[in-house]
Order: sequence, then structure tokens, then C-alpha cells
Amino acid sequence: MENRTVAVLGAGTMGAGIATVMARAGHHVILFDVSEDNLRRGIDTVHGFFDVSVQKGKLTDEQGRVAKSALHGSTSLADLAHCDVVVEAVYEDLRLKKDIFAQLDDIVSESTLFHTNTSTLSVTGIASGSRRPERVVGTHYCNPAPLMKLVEVADGRHTATWAHDATIRFLASLGKTSVVTKDRPGFIVNRFLIPWENSCIRALEAGLGTRDSIDAAVLGALGHPMGPFRLLDIVGMDIHQQVATRLYEQLRDPRFFPPPMVERMVAAGDLGRKTGRGFYEYDDNRLFGS
Amino acid sequence: MRDIQSIGVIGLGTMGAGIAQVFAESGMTVVAVETSPETLARGLESINALLSGAIARGRQTEAGKEAVLGRIQGVIDVAALHGVDAVLEALPEDIAIKRAVLSEVAQVVGPQTPILTNTSVLSVARIASLIPNPARVAGLHFFNPAPVVRTVEIVSSIDTDPALVERLVDLVESLDKVAVQVKDRPGFLINALLFPYLNDVIQELDDGLATAEDIDVALKLGLGYRTGPLEMLDLIGLDTHLQATEAIYQATGDARYAPPPLLRQMVTSGRLGDKTGSGFRTAGELSTEGS
Repeated sequence: MENRTVAVLGAGTMGAGIATVMARAGHHVILFDVSEDNLRRGIDTVHGFFDVSVQKGKLTDEQGRVAKSALHGSTSLADLAHCDVVVEAVYEDLRLKKDIFAQLDDIVSESTLFHTNTSTLSVTGIASGSRRPERVVGTHYCNPAPLMKLVEVADGRHTATWAHDATIRFLASLGKTSVVTKDRPGFIVNRFLIPWENSCIRALEAGLGTRDSIDAAVLGALGHPMGPFRLLDIVGMDIHQQVATRLYEQLRDPRFFPPPMVERMVAAGDLGRKTGRGFYEYDDNRLFGS
Repeated sequence: MRDIQSIGVIGLGTMGAGIAQVFAESGMTVVAVETSPETLARGLESINALLSGAIARGRQTEAGKEAVLGRIQGVIDVAALHGVDAVLEALPEDIAIKRAVLSEVAQVVGPQTPILTNTSVLSVARIASLIPNPARVAGLHFFNPAPVVRTVEIVSSIDTDPALVERLVDLVESLDKVAVQVKDRPGFLINALLFPYLNDVIQELDDGLATAEDIDVALKLGLGYRTGPLEMLDLIGLDTHLQATEAIYQATGDARYAPPPLLRQMVTSGRLGDKTGSGFRTAGELSTEGS
């Protein structure tokens, strides 16, 4: 696939990560955010990633320089007129996401693909913001996007075959592995992860084991890379609570409802690695050993 | 330091054979009991095959294999258990069979000799009720394949002597395994957590969330799991999973353990996973794509 112009909307953790993926794959990238400060932080994050990649020898100096120069920032949607693909990674707010797609309808060409990185909202709902919902496809990246190969692809009710097929080809050009799933709350990974984490928390609350024994038992028995409480500390209890609550609100299935311990930990500020204490205590708050 | 140096392993099916190998590889003397010369020969042959596999993977040597086999004495008479430090039963999950065998065993071994169960379906208390002195009964629950999986659950019933639990922790650690103390609840710890997830995956597959392959790929790449849930079910054996989750469902009435209809259909149609060459991910993958 030839190089495209890709816009990434939202310069938060996911947006910056997705912009990194696009720039590394050789696409021309416009990172958009309404806030100048967010935008600057997002661009710094992408540059920082490429600097580390060069230090680690994963990219040559020249590759690092080219990747960085492929990235531009903008706070004006009008700058996105020539984009082939738009990936929205703004806040998980349905109105905001619909509104931004509605505005883009008047700016970009008819053939521009709209991708949404939503993790908990309906692709169909977000697509309804556009007058051309057939071009909207759910592409859910995993955090950290530059390191995780998986992308979950979900069509909305009105997604066209051409948009779906072009999306699969585009993701392959990024070196990603796509899995095709349905527009259902949680797609595949969160659909199974959230009840799993909740049941581990409930087992801890019920005294079926301790933090250490449950983590050790899972690690030794199931081939997971880490126990459930280590993982929750990395994800963050606030994020777990948000995702679990949103899925519960849509599914009304009690397995998705965050157990009371989650609320207590969030109230106490014990969010995990990022606050230095969650289920475990940490000397530093670095998430990944970069 | 473990004080259990010799152990009787009763029943040399998949679990019993693997457990006997683990004990013998750690230097223990194992008396391996089966009910007939044919089943005994089959059990010893499967231990032989497991050790040959370990050699192929570079985890064992020819000389080591001979030494391990030399520490395993195969018998078809429980009287040979006289004098062992402990006994572990890995019999079929049938209370009548366990009752018949364990009452014989209790007459052969000392009155204080620990009698351990590898059951994953029955409660330890139920098994303890079959023999005199239930304080010496505990669960020692290995996972399949026993030589590979590091976690071993140590299950205390309401009668189990706490001192026995301490001895079992030493034993499990001497096997280079991870000892996890758990309660005598249906599914203990790991299966109680794992089965609702596996059942959920089967139901979502039937509901057309994604293909079997894409579900496995998503969870492996998204969460770093070494094995996808549908690969894991094929490895466990769909009949084995059906029996175990059904038992927890019967014991708890908790709908999360109720076998999903597709699981039953797979078993009824003879698709048992890797052992029959046909399961969720092995040849003859079902088309369950929703419309």
C-alpha cells in the first residue's frame, strides 16, 4: 500500500500511540487536538518513542528522523482536508465522537475512511454522526499501540464492504494483526477480560486466596504473562472501573459490574502503578521499562 | 525439607501418570497402583512416553529417564502400599470407585498416613468421609499436563490437620512447583475462576462474536496469554471440561458454570478436542459464524 495521509484525532495516550504506528509505517500523519498543550505533549510522546527506538537500535538515525518528520500537529480540522484515513481516539464520549465525524463530512473527500478507536461505545452509534456511515469502521488498538500487534475490527450496521476490506488492508500495511468481531460491547478482549478481572477481585474479597496466592496460582497454571492484580495495577483501577461500568450499563450483566473493592481503591487514590500503589506498592511510577 | 520420601499413586490415567513422573523425577520412590496388568502396562508406558518426550525437548537425559523409571514400582495390589509415607489417589471421578479403593487402602497404610486426592470434581470433605481419620486427608490438585504446569493447589477440608498442610507445602516446593493453599470449594481456586471464562468463550463463539481462531488470536495478542481459550479447551478435552463444569454447576447452582449448549453438542458428536483430532481449533473446526 502506498503512503497515505492519516489524521489521528486526540493526542492522548492512545492517539499518540496510534500516530506513532502510522508514522513508523511511512504514512504522512496529522495529529489533531483542540488543545495546544495536549498536542505538544502528544508530539513529544511520539518523538520520545522514536528517540528511544533509535537508542535501542530498532531504528537507524535516518529512519528515526524520517518518522519524526512525517508527523505534523494541528488544532484545526480544516487541515485534514486531504486525509485518506481518519482515526479518532478522542474521549469516550458519544456526542463528541459523532460531532467530530459530522464536521469532517464537510471537510474530507467522500472516499476518506473513518476509523474509531472506541473501546466501549457502539461503532454504529458513532457512525450515525456521519452522513456516510458506510465509511465508518471500528478499529480498536491495544495500549501501548506501538508495541501491541492486535487490532479488533468491528463494522457498524451500515459499514460498507469496501470500507471493511480497505481497513483490513490498511491495518496489514501497518504490520498489525486484525481480528474481525462484532459491534458488541467490549469486542473480544474486554468482553472476556473485564469479567475475568472482576471475578479475581471477588475471589480476593471472599478470601478464596490472597493477592499473592491468586497471582501466583494464575501465573503458574494458566500461561498468563502476569497475575490479575499485577495487570490491574498496570491498567489502573480508575480505567478498570470506567470500562467495567460502561460495559455493565450496556449489558446489564452483573459479571461486568466492578466489585466494591474497586470503588474503595479508587476513592483511596490507590490506582496502581501510576500512583505508586494499587494492589502492590511501587518505588517508581514508570509503566514500561523504557 | 519434605518428610514425605515415598508415595503411592493410585490410578495411572493422564493425571496419575504425569503426577507419578513428577514425584519420581524429584527423587521420590513411587508405588504406582492400577487395577489390572493391562491398565498398569498402559500407565507405565505413558510415563515412559512422557519421559521420552522430555528427552526430546532437552529436559531429561537417557540416564535420567532410567533412574526415574527405576524409582517407580508398578503394582496391581494395594497391599504394596504398606509402609509408604503418603498416598495420592488419581482415580476416575466416581465416588463409588473412590470409596471401594480408598477403604482398601486405609486398611493397608498406617492410621496416620496422609491420604491425598487429586480430585477436581468432588469435595475433599466428601472423600475424607470415606475413610477413618479424616484429618489426614487433603487435596493435592495438579493440573494437566502435570509435568509442565507449575501450580499445585493444596486443599484443606474442614477436617484437615493444619500440620499436614505445612508438610504438603514442603512437598510441593520440593517438586519445583508453586504451592497455593485453597479452600475446599467447588472448583477450588483456579477452576472456579477459569471455567466461567471458558464457558463464556464457548457461548460467544456460538453467538458468532468472532471465529474460534480470531478469539484465540485476540486474547493471545491482546493479553499475552500463551494459549487461547479454545486451544486450551481442546487440550483439556471437551468431555473432561464438560464433566468438571457440570459438577461445579451441580454443587453451586451458579449459572456461570452451566455447560453451554455448544459444549454438550461437541461432546455428543464425539468432538473431544486434541485427543480425537477434532475440537474447536483442531481439524473439522465448526462454522459458527452468526448470520
